[in-house]
Amino acid sequence: MATGMQSNSLNPPELTLGIKLQQINWGLILLLTLIASVGFAMLYSAANGSWTPWAMRQAIRFGVGLVITLGIALVDLRFLMRWAYAFYFLSLGLLGVVEIAGEIGMGAQRWIDLGVFRLQPSELMKLALVLALARYFHRQTFEEVGRIRSLFVPLVLVFAPAILVLRQPDLGTAGMIILGGGAIFFLAGVRIWKFVTVLVLGLSAIPIGWQFLHNYQKNRILTFLNPENDPLGAGYHILQSKIALGSGGLFGKGFLQGSQSHLNFLPEKQTDFIFTMLAEELGLAGALFLLLLYVLALGYGFAIALRCSSQFGRLLALGTTTTLFLYMFINIAMVMGLIPVVGVPLPLISYGGTAMLTAMIGFGLIINCYVHRDIEIGRQGFEDED
Amino acid sequence: MTHTRLNAADIPVPEKTLKFEGSGKQALEQGRTRLLIAGTVFALAFCVIAARVIDVSVFERAEEPRLAEERGTLTHKTGRADIVDRNGMLLATTLNVPSLYADPKYIMDPIESAAKLRTVLPELGHADLIAKFSDKKRFTWIKRNLTPRQQYAVNKLGIPGLYFQNESKRIYPQGPLTAHIVGRAGFDDVGLSGIEKNFDSMLRDGSDPLRLSIDIRIQHILREELQTQIDAFDGIGAAGIVMDVNSSEIVAMISLPDFDPNRRDQISDDAMFNRATLGVYEMGSTFKIFNTAMALDYGTTTMRNGYDASKPIRIARFTINDDHAKNRWLSVPEIFMYSSNIGSVKMALDVGGDRQKAFMKRLGFLEASAVELPERGRPLAPSPWRPINTMTISFGHGIAVSPIQLANGVASIVNGGVRHPATLLRRDTTEMLVGERVISEKTSIAMRRLLRLVVEKGTGRNANAKGYLVGGKTGTAEKPGRGGGYQRKALLSSFVAAFPVNDPRYVVLAMVDEPKGNKSSYGYATGGWVAAPAVKRIVERAAPFLNVTPVDEEAPEIRRSLMVKIPQTKGKKALASF
Repeated sequence: MATGMQSNSLNPPELTLGIKLQQINWGLILLLTLIASVGFAMLYSAANGSWTPWAMRQAIRFGVGLVITLGIALVDLRFLMRWAYAFYFLSLGLLGVVEIAGEIGMGAQRWIDLGVFRLQPSELMKLALVLALARYFHRQTFEEVGRIRSLFVPLVLVFAPAILVLRQPDLGTAGMIILGGGAIFFLAGVRIWKFVTVLVLGLSAIPIGWQFLHNYQKNRILTFLNPENDPLGAGYHILQSKIALGSGGLFGKGFLQGSQSHLNFLPEKQTDFIFTMLAEELGLAGALFLLLLYVLALGYGFAIALRCSSQFGRLLALGTTTTLFLYMFINIAMVMGLIPVVGVPLPLISYGGTAMLTAMIGFGLIINCYVHRDIEIGRQGFEDED
Repeated sequence: MTHTRLNAADIPVPEKTLKFEGSGKQALEQGRTRLLIAGTVFALAFCVIAARVIDVSVFERAEEPRLAEERGTLTHKTGRADIVDRNGMLLATTLNVPSLYADPKYIMDPIESAAKLRTVLPELGHADLIAKFSDKKRFTWIKRNLTPRQQYAVNKLGIPGLYFQNESKRIYPQGPLTAHIVGRAGFDDVGLSGIEKNFDSMLRDGSDPLRLSIDIRIQHILREELQTQIDAFDGIGAAGIVMDVNSSEIVAMISLPDFDPNRRDQISDDAMFNRATLGVYEMGSTFKIFNTAMALDYGTTTMRNGYDASKPIRIARFTINDDHAKNRWLSVPEIFMYSSNIGSVKMALDVGGDRQKAFMKRLGFLEASAVELPERGRPLAPSPWRPINTMTISFGHGIAVSPIQLANGVASIVNGGVRHPATLLRRDTTEMLVGERVISEKTSIAMRRLLRLVVEKGTGRNANAKGYLVGGKTGTAEKPGRGGGYQRKALLSSFVAAFPVNDPRYVVLAMVDEPKGNKSSYGYATGGWVAAPAVKRIVERAAPFLNVTPVDEEAPEIRRSLMVKIPQTKGKKALASF
């Protein structure tokens, strides 16, 4: 394209490192540290007042994660865009590897053993998908998005990993991938009636899909509908969780004093059910405080998306925010019995390496969008570069 | 820097500009709208979660769901009634099971039929079957209690002359867990022991399940912790009880070793013996609870008085010593806290034998417990009641009672002073309880403080389950040997506790028979080292099920309610003896 005379604004030179460092959203970093610190405190309590085995390792992971966040924040946004598909296919490849060589962890194949730590590619996939979809829709004009055939590629992008994850089987993550992808479709301007159609089709497919569910998945859904059905079996988690939540009251039983959690009634208290323990020990006040921190952190993400000049940046920021929001929402809604039990961690707080890594990369992407908020990227992207 | 959006739409390609601008603007507006919609959805979702958090933590004070009641029992009930725990969990039920018999008259080929039948029931002997099939009798049992699958397989063989008769079989789904309480019923549904025997006719007539006061969750915890102590200290047995202090309902009761009532052929006599109700034991120092309560209630001493415990007491050929001797004047709280035998004897002597006997009678220690089991041990009490008996009974020797009586007695002391007989049946919450007052409320409150003192500063520190305000008393009794006299090595180590002791809800008793000291207890096999840690763990694990929440032990109102002033200076009596 002959756009030489405007290329200054279309392709501004990469910002210098110093400027970028100034541009980094330190308020958001502080917020992340606050949330993670709540996590350390809860892990310390989960181990009955000990830094081992969880709190210390989690703190180290957060430290490493913070370096990664900053590293990602400083990369050029266009670089991210250029490598978006590569990252996507790498994640998809890893998911395929899990299918073939994944170590059986907790009854489902979700891990790749890297020696140093065990990687859960489905987590990385959530972010890779956001990147890939953002890049795809960045190039689409308003009219193009309106056409059905231009939706073919992104639908494949969403469903390829979703189906692989579903085969593991991990219903929760597959659902998150589809929801996260759907959010980007929505933001990119896919027409509303298409969503309605998909929703109607999806709902009518439920009776058919039901037959393909594993027994434990059916149980979880039935249990969600009536937890008292099987209080000692499948309903155990959620009942204990509700008892613990209820026993916390306004101000909780006090740090390290949660009897439900410390007496091991509450399963998985250091991972998926950590919010319950928080609510038991610190009460309503503590739970609402944590929610407030999340609102602020995700609010940042939202504001950054609003502020982005490039379509890619906007989609990336909001897609990532949505993904992180889904983590938080699904986890908290689950422990309170609003939705069925699915294995989704609470970002930055639940114990776990990949979960921490995903959250930190995610916030790295969001901050990156902020740092490069005024960078314009032409519709044809880097083809403008020479 | 400019924030206006610049994109391909601004590229001057005249003929396309209009269209691009139009669609660009539209896209921009739509993009913004959608962003706002997304933001609104986020905000709404947060509101939903926040509302739910408030809902569950403030309004919906989740209780243990009354699930089992709705589940109820099997509907196809026939025959003997079920027995269920307090929450409706099945402890004993009757199933209809087929039994196989033969009418040899119709068996055409005994040898072939036997071979065929053995393909599905290989455990039957070949020769034996042929003999049965060739018999002249018209009826012979082949195998009792077949599974439905076996019945199906036999039917499928199509051997003429084989028939089924439905029989009922008593099943105990909890296995050994409630064996000593529920007991068992024999082949023809006759109760042989436990509740099955005690309520035999009622169970045979009624079809409503019999609801016990037992909670199998607590029962499980109690059993596990007692077994842990037996394993750790190489004991020969153990007994434990958890009792509601206000209703005297037995929430859990264990005697180890126990047996599986479903395995009729594998039950030993030792396992059948119910240590918790049938065994009677000299309890040792735990009896100082009753001795001290007695002296305080009769007013022969007060919390501020004390006794000289500096010298052993010699009477006839006996010498009464202190295990944790302080060799000085001790106040009443100290006598209790350090478990001084000398002080206890002097307290009892001040009360006198007749009044002591009357007090023991009021506590129900002179007759068998009223608990609804046929296995009830009759206490061994001295007759006549001599002064030496008064002296030894003060520290728990010379009188033998069953653990259930001990637990019941402690419940009466700490609950405000009213005794209700122990029961294994669930009491209605609306039921008016008529009890018998054994001590005044004031004495009961004083006893709570003393029990707490033992756990905070005395011999029972290993029982201190943080937040649950455990108060209790250790007991280490030497078991009487065969030839009379006591064996120094064969101990009965116990700990009896109430929690939360500022307003007691439950009594917990743990008792280990003949424990041997190990490294973790520094070689001790005493109640404080063997039974107290078990009580601690039982309280910690059971309290959440029992709806007892931990409290801040340092809270001023709790400290005040359990405060004991230990007189530092010698009392009048001691001064006078100078």
